[in-house]
Amino acid sequence: MVFTDSEILETVRMLELETLDIRTTTLGINLLDCADPDLESTAEKIYAKIVHQAKNLVEVAESIAADYGVPIVNKRIAVTPISLVAAACGSKDLVPLARALDAAAKEVGVDFIGGFSAYVHKGFTSADDALFDSIPRALAETDHVCSSVSLGTTRAGVNMDATARFAEVVKESARLTADTGGLGCAKLVCFTNPVEDNPFVAGAHIGIGEAETVLSVGISGPGVVRSALERLGPGADLLAVSEVVKRTAFKITRVGELVGREAARRLGTSFGIVDVSLAPTPAIGDSVSDILELVGVERTGAPGTTAALALLTDAVKKGGAMGSSSVGGLSGAFIPVSEDEGMIDAVRVGALSLAKLEAMTTVCSVGLDMVAVPGDTPVSTLMGIIADEMAIGMVNNKTTAVRIIPVPGKGPGETVEWGGLLGTAIVQDPGKFHCDVLYNRRGRIPAPIQSYRN
Amino acid sequence: MAKRFITVEDIQRAGRGPLVVDADTVVTPQAQLAAQSAGIVIQTGSGQAYAEPIPDRGPDPARATGGGHRLPEPEGQLNRGTGVIVTVVGRNRPGILAEITVAVGEAGATVVDISQRTVDAFFHLVLTVELAGGSDFSGLKQRLDCLGGKDDYSVRIMHEGVFRFMHRI
Repeated sequence: MVFTDSEILETVRMLELETLDIRTTTLGINLLDCADPDLESTAEKIYAKIVHQAKNLVEVAESIAADYGVPIVNKRIAVTPISLVAAACGSKDLVPLARALDAAAKEVGVDFIGGFSAYVHKGFTSADDALFDSIPRALAETDHVCSSVSLGTTRAGVNMDATARFAEVVKESARLTADTGGLGCAKLVCFTNPVEDNPFVAGAHIGIGEAETVLSVGISGPGVVRSALERLGPGADLLAVSEVVKRTAFKITRVGELVGREAARRLGTSFGIVDVSLAPTPAIGDSVSDILELVGVERTGAPGTTAALALLTDAVKKGGAMGSSSVGGLSGAFIPVSEDEGMIDAVRVGALSLAKLEAMTTVCSVGLDMVAVPGDTPVSTLMGIIADEMAIGMVNNKTTAVRIIPVPGKGPGETVEWGGLLGTAIVQDPGKFHCDVLYNRRGRIPAPIQSYRN
Repeated sequence: MAKRFITVEDIQRAGRGPLVVDADTVVTPQAQLAAQSAGIVIQTGSGQAYAEPIPDRGPDPARATGGGHRLPEPEGQLNRGTGVIVTVVGRNRPGILAEITVAVGEAGATVVDISQRTVDAFFHLVLTVELAGGSDFSGLKQRLDCLGGKDDYSVRIMHEGVFRFMHRI
């Protein structure tokens, strides 16, 4: 069992100097058995079930962090999409259910709870309709609740009625949380091809194919990859770069696998997945942008950035696939603009435009994430930005998401501070040309030909 | 199947007299309050007072923990006891190794491997320690966490699992 000094010191260095941590342990809880014809009773059951199932989550995560010396930054809960749970009660106002989620999150001490969600990629049920109407108030009146909706899939196409409505929801959420820079929108995301085992907020929820409860882990580790590439130096060729990223991702994933197994064992639940994602934080050195610049672009957003990101995402997946048999969630590289110190800087110096960011999302694991636009951006333009991203996911058979914040009262180039993990953003210019005709057409973009695979 | 939840509505409907619930039914906190204020006693079939049941995690974890498909561990696990890696870094002075090993001994652990390097006035020390079957990891951690200090040295103590998962297949 004895390890060599260099093995031990490598692990300690990753933890001490390179900010290796587990970004999140997320307990998924099925809420379908909380459905009740009465809204009050539904809320009561939701609260009781979450507290009942998750009361040991924080304690278990902290005990694992102490035993293994690996920090576990966030403890979260993902639940069944609330539109499914609320369908039986027929209520038009689902904010009480968001309050129940929020109260339960506070009671058990988790950072966020995801699942105020609906699947509307083909159409709306009455409950989906009520949920959409409730999202802006739910986000404004709660602290920990996150909301996500599915607007399209490769199999179904993109529901443009829903996309237009989502753009209105974004706008309204920003208006209701204007005093905090539109913070409500930071807890709101839309997806094409959503994954049902995503442990990362704002998109965390558990789908209907999941077990009663399931424990999933989201890893992190941009700092570790960055240091490994620094040691490799600028002379090595791209095969060597890929190899180094792969090996590093393997090691990071193994820590996730260990923590996931152990947390599931201590909680007495099933182990779900390890989400192998390089997730940056605003902390210095914990940046995906820095990695891209080490691969070889002067600034993130320069020509070559998409190619560098494609290599990075692929190598992370390959390393992760070897490290765990349960790789799931979004798995790849995240590029949340406001949460990554290097990306913020790239926007500030004019290297990274919204258009380039969109191109990068074709090869990253998520999409337009934590992007700030002017508060007076028309709803039709917001819809256009979202629809573009949804179409990329639909055609390329991948998950794409949009988390966009039209910051009230701010114009292009201005800065908005959200603080904490959400960081700082510089408002980006979506351009002056509109897509009003497209906005007014509505309907659905049909499923692409590549979906006909049976 | 037993009723999964008892809500305020159920309490209101129950009227007077004791409410009998199944052993695995969850009575919501609001329902417990409502029952208390209405003077309704909630009890299980065997006549015992209601207590929150153990969470029902569904059939999946029950199958996983009942044998069946346990995932294989990376090689190199100890046959007996628990492996612990202790790393110490800081400013060198006489007696540090003694302080650490005394604490390890007092916690009922034995040293399996040890290596130390000094560079100028500084040193780093790596100890692989084995905790005997009955010994407590947190006890060892507490003893070692007390040692050292800001301008002296710092001790880091970790379960060997994280090293085994990272460096062994």
